[in-house]
Amino acid sequence: MFRLIVLSLALLAPLAQAQLVIEITQGVDDPTPVAVVPFAWEGAGNAPVDMAQVVQEDFERSGQFSPVNRADMLGFPSREEEVFYRDWRAIASEYVLIGRASGEGDQLSLRYELYDVLRQARIAEGSVAGPAGEARMLAHRVSDAVYEKLTGIPGAFATRLIYVSVTRNPTGKDYYRLTLADSDGARPIVLLESREPIMSPSWAPDGKQVAYVSFETGRPAIFRQVLATGEREQLTNFRGLNSSPAWSPDGNSMAMVLSKDGSPDIYLMDMATRRLTRVTSHYAIDTEPSWMPDGRSFLFTSDRGGRPQIYRYDLRSGLTERVTFEGNYNARARVAQDGRNVVLVHQREGEFQIAIHDLVSNRLQVLTNTDLDESPSIAPNGSMVLYATKFGDRGILSAVSVDGGVKFRLPARNGDVREPAWSPYMQF
Amino acid sequence: MFRAIPYRRIGLTFLVGPISFLTVAISATAQDYIDVEAERRSPQTQTQTQTQSRPAATVTAPAVSYGVGTAPSAVTTRSLPPPAAAAAGDNLGGLFNQVQQLQQEVMRLNGLVEQQSYEIRTLKEQSLERYMDIDRRLASGSTSVAPPIGSTGGGASPNKPSTGALDSSGSATEVAEQPGEGEAYRAAYALVRGQEFDQAVSAFTAFLERFPAGRYAPNAHYWLGELYLVTDPADPEASRQAFMLLLNQYPTNAKIPDALYKLGRVHFMKGNRDRSREFLNRVIREYPDSSAARLAGDFLDQNL
Repeated sequence: MFRLIVLSLALLAPLAQAQLVIEITQGVDDPTPVAVVPFAWEGAGNAPVDMAQVVQEDFERSGQFSPVNRADMLGFPSREEEVFYRDWRAIASEYVLIGRASGEGDQLSLRYELYDVLRQARIAEGSVAGPAGEARMLAHRVSDAVYEKLTGIPGAFATRLIYVSVTRNPTGKDYYRLTLADSDGARPIVLLESREPIMSPSWAPDGKQVAYVSFETGRPAIFRQVLATGEREQLTNFRGLNSSPAWSPDGNSMAMVLSKDGSPDIYLMDMATRRLTRVTSHYAIDTEPSWMPDGRSFLFTSDRGGRPQIYRYDLRSGLTERVTFEGNYNARARVAQDGRNVVLVHQREGEFQIAIHDLVSNRLQVLTNTDLDESPSIAPNGSMVLYATKFGDRGILSAVSVDGGVKFRLPARNGDVREPAWSPYMQF
Repeated sequence: MFRAIPYRRIGLTFLVGPISFLTVAISATAQDYIDVEAERRSPQTQTQTQTQSRPAATVTAPAVSYGVGTAPSAVTTRSLPPPAAAAAGDNLGGLFNQVQQLQQEVMRLNGLVEQQSYEIRTLKEQSLERYMDIDRRLASGSTSVAPPIGSTGGGASPNKPSTGALDSSGSATEVAEQPGEGEAYRAAYALVRGQEFDQAVSAFTAFLERFPAGRYAPNAHYWLGELYLVTDPADPEASRQAFMLLLNQYPTNAKIPDALYKLGRVHFMKGNRDRSREFLNRVIREYPDSSAARLAGDFLDQNL
């Protein structure tokens, strides 16, 4: 039987990959020009990765910056004494990022400095180091630091995505792949390949494990998988639905949806004892749990009011209250780390779009103008929302900033991509 | 899970025909929702037939029913009560349908109650907020301008241009009061104090028709702007127009900071955050010492 292949990070076998390509469709009106000078390489041979290019693409994708074209640069400084501010004023660049990288064995280190052209001063510097194989991730960490310096918001470039890609097979069963990639879609790694559906991937709070639903046993079951080793474990095997796993913020329990006792309800599984507690009990559908960052309550979707809406269950009081009231369909909520913004799927004029609901002001704002949007997932810094949508007749991933101002698409080179899940901040 | 089976369009729609809110099954999303609905029903289906059917068959029914290709089995389970229980099955089937109908009905009512209690709560909060807003303004104005008209005896606190009262600071372009204007204005204003907001709107509208360039015309415009926000239903667009009239025709009027602040709020109500921000920032920029600027700052912090 060759229907299921589990892969770990250790064996980076690049199977037929759903590599994502990024197309920016909308940026802010007046992006800040930044020059990312190619980093000098002080090691032997050639640099393993053009890390400055990675940083430049991060800035471009943020929509808030317009990186200066390398061909327009009058020089490639890599040290402070080589930075001539008039050169950068001449090409209207407001900031200049320089750096120099060196390698020893399989270790790589990069020192970077950021200059403010108008104030003619160095405003940030730092260094990152790690395995040469993680060169792209090191570059993303530089992006994170510089982005935070320039915007005041921590960057979320050094993070990862998981998503499900489907390759249609007209003559038999489709191929389903659970794929892990960097936040820019690079370095895709297939974690699991199956001829049966894979759904609802979600991250453990430490970013080291993922949980998902796989139909490989002939019916849906929840699995968890350790990224580093590929070790996996089947957590549930109940009759009926086993879906929407969601790790609690402390990682000690997992909310999930089971229909073993009748209608789909939300259960909590204690990850140490595997003991299950039924949390909601209603003949309507209760599903899609999403934890509040404090772990004291979670949001979920229910049609107990006749139409799918978002509700909030408080674990201490056991009380359920309805959260969304605008429109006839609000589902698949995901809470941002600030505990205030909630991204969800909202139906407006018959179209399914991604909206953001403010839990404090109770206001809902639609972010996208496409149809059939689903599965929103919010970046750990709360700035961007990744979601699945249709483009042409293909399923692709798209991203939109939480103010709706920046949009980009991440179509796969082949196949359909859906159900993205943005990782939490990773430990390095 | 409301889109539990995103990858396959399986022919489950016929299963759920009777359920009214599922008839929106046009999009993939709705389609997926239906699949779950079918799943939700299948365990119930199962209890119906469990006594008779072989356990093995029963156990597999829910799993296969939603989507990995053998959907019809759920239908089979449901639509074919075992022969031995045929007679009782009819009654059970009837009861089952009734329970289903009742559940749907309760869910619909549940939704209605949730929606209405939310609306009542919101309305209560809004009307309290508006009442307190007006009350604050009246309180701050009434000491100096107790009779809202006439007493131009200066004293209205410079930071808080009183809404109810006339422009006590006496603008440079002061217009003489026309005959009957004072009474008409006072009458309209009395309606505001009596919280007869709808009638106050009519009264101020009539006042402006009679005295379009009257001495109290700016006040009337301002009041209309405020009143359109407290009428039921509120009319933010009419309110916006009233404030804009004041802004365009009386740009030096003492109530301009308040009008700008209110315009910010009106645009916020209308969902136009950018315009809202624009007006709020303008108050802060152009009238930094006014209380409207402080309110605008607070509002920006809290909402935008």
